[in-house]
Amino acid sequence: MSYAYLFKYIIIGDTGVGKSCLLLQFTDKRFQPVHDLTIGVEFGARMITIDNKLIKLQIWDTAGQEAFRSITRSYYRGAAGALLVYDITRRETFNHLTTWLEDARQHSNSNMVIMLIGNKSDLESRREVKKEEGDAFAREHGLIFMETSARTAANVEEAFINTAKEIYEKIQEGVFDINNEANGIKIGPQHSPSNASLPPGSQSSSPSSGCC
Amino acid sequence: MFQGVRVTASSSGHELFVLGDSDGYVHLVNRTFEIRSFSAYERGISLLHQSKDSPILVSIGEDEIGVNPVIKVWNLDKNDKHGDPVCLRITRATIPNKAVIASCLAVSDNLSLMAVGFVDGSIIIYRGDISRERSSKQKHLKDDLPSITGLAFQTSGKVIMLYVATVSSVEVYDVTHKDKEKKIHLDGKGCALRCSILAESLPNNDFMVARRDAVYCYTNFVLGPCYAISGEKIQLEWFRSYLVIVAKDMEPAPRISTRVNFFSDLNRDSHIITILDIQNKFIVFTALVKDVSAVLIEWGAIYVLSTDNSLCLIAKSQQYDAQGLMEIFRQFGDHLYIKGDHKGAMEQYIKTIGSLEPSYVIRKYKDSQQVENLTTYLQALHKDGVATGDHTTLLINCYTKLNKPELLKEFVMTKDREVDFNVEVAIEVCRHVSAEDALLLAEKHCLHSWYLTIQIEDQKKYNAALDYIGKLDFEQAEFMIKKYGITLLENVPEETTSFLKKLCTDYEPNNKNSDGSSYSGQQKANPEDFIHYFLNNSERLVEFLEHLIQISSKWSPHIYTTLLEHYIHVWGKQTDHHARLQYEQKIMRLLESPDASYDKLQALILCKAANFKSGILHLYEQNKMYQAILKYHVAQQDYSSLLVCCRRFGHQEPGLWVQALWAVAPQQNLPHDLLDEILSVIEKEKLLSPLSVVDALSYSPNVKVGNVKNYLNKIFQTELKLTEQQKALIEKYTQQTKKSRNTIEGIRNKCSACNKQLELPSVNLFCQHSYHQHCFQTFSENECPMCLPNNKQILDAIQSQEQSKDLHEVFHSQLDRADDAFSLVTAYLGRRVFTELTDYSKVAMGKFFLIVIMDSS
Repeated sequence: MSYAYLFKYIIIGDTGVGKSCLLLQFTDKRFQPVHDLTIGVEFGARMITIDNKLIKLQIWDTAGQEAFRSITRSYYRGAAGALLVYDITRRETFNHLTTWLEDARQHSNSNMVIMLIGNKSDLESRREVKKEEGDAFAREHGLIFMETSARTAANVEEAFINTAKEIYEKIQEGVFDINNEANGIKIGPQHSPSNASLPPGSQSSSPSSGCC
Repeated sequence: MFQGVRVTASSSGHELFVLGDSDGYVHLVNRTFEIRSFSAYERGISLLHQSKDSPILVSIGEDEIGVNPVIKVWNLDKNDKHGDPVCLRITRATIPNKAVIASCLAVSDNLSLMAVGFVDGSIIIYRGDISRERSSKQKHLKDDLPSITGLAFQTSGKVIMLYVATVSSVEVYDVTHKDKEKKIHLDGKGCALRCSILAESLPNNDFMVARRDAVYCYTNFVLGPCYAISGEKIQLEWFRSYLVIVAKDMEPAPRISTRVNFFSDLNRDSHIITILDIQNKFIVFTALVKDVSAVLIEWGAIYVLSTDNSLCLIAKSQQYDAQGLMEIFRQFGDHLYIKGDHKGAMEQYIKTIGSLEPSYVIRKYKDSQQVENLTTYLQALHKDGVATGDHTTLLINCYTKLNKPELLKEFVMTKDREVDFNVEVAIEVCRHVSAEDALLLAEKHCLHSWYLTIQIEDQKKYNAALDYIGKLDFEQAEFMIKKYGITLLENVPEETTSFLKKLCTDYEPNNKNSDGSSYSGQQKANPEDFIHYFLNNSERLVEFLEHLIQISSKWSPHIYTTLLEHYIHVWGKQTDHHARLQYEQKIMRLLESPDASYDKLQALILCKAANFKSGILHLYEQNKMYQAILKYHVAQQDYSSLLVCCRRFGHQEPGLWVQALWAVAPQQNLPHDLLDEILSVIEKEKLLSPLSVVDALSYSPNVKVGNVKNYLNKIFQTELKLTEQQKALIEKYTQQTKKSRNTIEGIRNKCSACNKQLELPSVNLFCQHSYHQHCFQTFSENECPMCLPNNKQILDAIQSQEQSKDLHEVFHSQLDRADDAFSLVTAYLGRRVFTELTDYSKVAMGKFFLIVIMDSS
């Protein structure tokens, strides 16, 4: 399958907020109740369609633990979108959002689309962070906001796809320089004549994972 | 090993370890650890590369003081006159006008490319067969790079890439085409010497670079995933799908799964060796090792060379290497077990599943105190799918011993996982331990037979069993009821009967709601199979069969016959008159039912055996055995019925009356009118000669002549009348004969022409006219003169018809004009329009053909 665009995402947020589970739900449509700690950085990929164009999402799932913060930073560069995740049942993860956002703004390009995600919306009984608070935070910092549940898959698709839509709109508006790969956007093989000199096969055979 | 030698370079490949020391010697170590050394350089050796599959060794070292690295290529299989390997090539590895130290060396697998990196950031690429001096061309890549720390060739198809790691960057060159080298910048961070490696067996041939915080992968010219393993890395090695990381021992690596202390003295120079399974993202092995000088990989195993030059086997993996790991786990487990840490030992043993015989472990843990650990082990065995039936048995027994039914239940119900044990064995065991679980298990795995066996034989819960059968789909339900029907019927006759009724008519599994109805028509059990279950229960059988017959009438004769048999059986046992009557009616209704296709002969036998009168009679009648009915009535001396029977069937079988006579004659006390009626019928129908009647009656002890007087009188009178009639007839016929005879005489002897006595020669014609020859000749030539006019008329008519038949125009015009065209056509057909003329004229002529009988004289 050849895609029109490839968008790179990065998922960030405190440890245990469900970043890996969100990714697994999006790429494999399954939920793993017990997930090992993410060590370093892993990634998954999935094709979506926006405006009748195939778009490949390459999603980098980072480790949330403080010890890995420096590793995570080297992945901000070259991401077109970021999912900033907190856990609605743990207030401290919400409190840390500012730190994460600073980190993201500092290390990524300024046009990166950031989506704020309050995960674990299925655990309503244990909620500590109100939806309105998330909404307010997002408005204050110019983010898109959504509450999701990786367990029930509620809003998971939407979170990823809405981010992609936002990026796509920005491309249409000409905000992104799509020829600069550092922006995290790549034009598909058949759309870009400039990539012809790259070795064949090395592009299409992207690291295998997820559903594609 | 090499005492007093300082190893400065190492490589492995072609079944050899290659070590270079500071004195310029190369040491080759083979599989049996035999060492062969030769002098390669005058001074030290800095870099070595042993080709994997060929005996080619590339070395970089110094022959003289100063910085003048020299590349030498050796063939290790060929020896010169001193017994040392042959040196194939000597090239100076220097950058023009500069004296720099070579920091790394890479050779492509096919030996056609070689690259040397220098501390000042330059790279020299040698193209062409590296073992030949002449064919090789060198190219100096002059990009302003920091000091080179790692080089690796990656070949995929025709494309050859050269990964370059420097102190502060990672680059990749496309070196496929000569002089068209193209650089792609990958990252602005670099790594230390020996801390980069190409992961060859991974699908994307990642270039791995170890930094302080993690190991980063570069794939497809971009930064890929990373593995966070902190510590100051010393060396990276790649072995099959494992990444071997040597780091300085700073702090424990995160997520340590197995930490084996090989060396108890933790001095400050020790290193951590971590083996990471990249595919499974799992740290396979971590160990503290003293003073690692190099990690060498060969013979399917990983060896560590320490600074005091002792070689130590770390791990063998995969194939037999996996076995090696298992052995390590086992030994550690044994160790912990001896120390009394049973739980810890079990953790190790669980890791050996797959290679270590489970009985080895089970035997160790068979004590009753160890049940818990044993359970853990057995669970792990099941999870890995290597458990046998015995293991399942043991595990279930363990659960019971632990008195943890909820665990057993969880295991048995296998929530969230595949079934990893032999279900039948599990049921068998559960059956003795906890029938409830066994039932659940059987139900879950659709082992209906087991379920029912337990339910019926152990639990005696017949109703539950029956309900369960009712939930199955048709084939299984039928099979099961066949298996357990007898038992069920004995114990819960009522429910079983109603279930059987359902099964034989319109079975639908209980738990299916909607779609069952569409094919229920085809699914009917054959009730014959179930009849014998009702062996001792006639009443139930009757109920069952009655139900069947009510639902449908298309059953085999066997069904009806059986029903009849049991009706009669029940009837025979009834003592109450009223009930008997009721059953009698039932039987008769069955017998008379037009649909009932019972076997008549068998039914007859049944009725006779039970002496069921009306049944017998009905059947006789059905089978047209009227004589049997007669005999029956006679035997019963039921003369009025006898008469009725004779009257009813006499016209079908007149012999009945005669039979009746013969049967009745010898009887005593015959009613008069009976004999009279028989005789009158016999007389009327003339069934028997009077003599035979008399003969028959003569057997009767009490029939007097007076009784038959009327009959005899009538007989005689008819006989007389008959004789007279016949006599008159004889008279009449004699006279007629006489008359005819005279006429014949007359015709025969007269000529038709002259009416005189015929004399020879004469002519006799078919038209029965005879003539004297001379008379005939005078009248005609060849036709009968008497018939001539008549014949002529006919011939004329034929001729005229033949003429008109040929006039087609006339026919057509007539057809046009005719009111009734059809009759016209018929008229023409009548004139034989469509047959050949000649045939019929011949026939016509034949009519008048002449036979002249001439006198022979």
